Amino acid sequence: MARHQIGNHIRRLRFEAQEMTQKDLAEKVGVTRQTIVAIEAAKYSPTLELAFQIARVFGRPLEEVFFYGEGEAGKGP
Amino acid sequence: MSFGERDAFTSLLITLIVAAMFYFRITGQSAAGLYDGPDGLMIWARSVLWLIAISIGIAIGVTILFTILYTILTGEMKPSDLRDERDRMIEVRGMRIESLLVHFGLAAGIIYLAWGGASAVRALNVILIGLMLSGIVKEIFKIICYRRGF
Repeated sequence: MARHQIGNHIRRLRFEAQEMTQKDLAEKVGVTRQTIVAIEAAKYSPTLELAFQIARVFGRPLEEVFFYGEGEAGKGP
Repeated sequence: MSFGERDAFTSLLITLIVAAMFYFRITGQSAAGLYDGPDGLMIWARSVLWLIAISIGIAIGVTILFTILYTILTGEMKPSDLRDERDRMIEVRGMRIESLLVHFGLAAGIIYLAWGGASAVRALNVILIGLMLSGIVKEIFKIICYRRGF
């Protein structure tokens, strides 16, 4: 079900980053693990600042981590 | 469960307990006719003050019990107390709903008096019920936001 138009590739990027856990990512950007879970599932759209912080952790530009458009929640277009 | 979500659960529980206590005390005093005399308002105000004092103790007790229960059930020895942007956003949304309902409660009390309601204590009760209901709705709304996303 398409809940939000802002999707992301965080799950894939975590696995590409030596299977980084949600807890690890949460600690790196200073939020709770539940917030990362919600972002991954596209149940919460992060602020621009947090989105940039997450992208920085993966060393990717913002548009390679998040996308805007139609698609399954949390999955790519 | 994040700290914010745990806090919403404990706040809901505390508000429900306090509301039940308020209901039984006020209805008991009302049935006994304590509000009918010239000191009715004073008796009511003292009851509310008593309730506020008791609710602080209940809040402390419920928070401690909930933390112990959560630790036992999840095995998290030191649950995080971090609040992040999602917690703050959910809090703001909850407060918006709470504020709206408080205004409805206030309006209901005034409307009661405007339509010939003779009892100031009853009008104050309507306002207080509005306050409690708004607190309950706020916490339920927050829990829904945490569970279903927004």
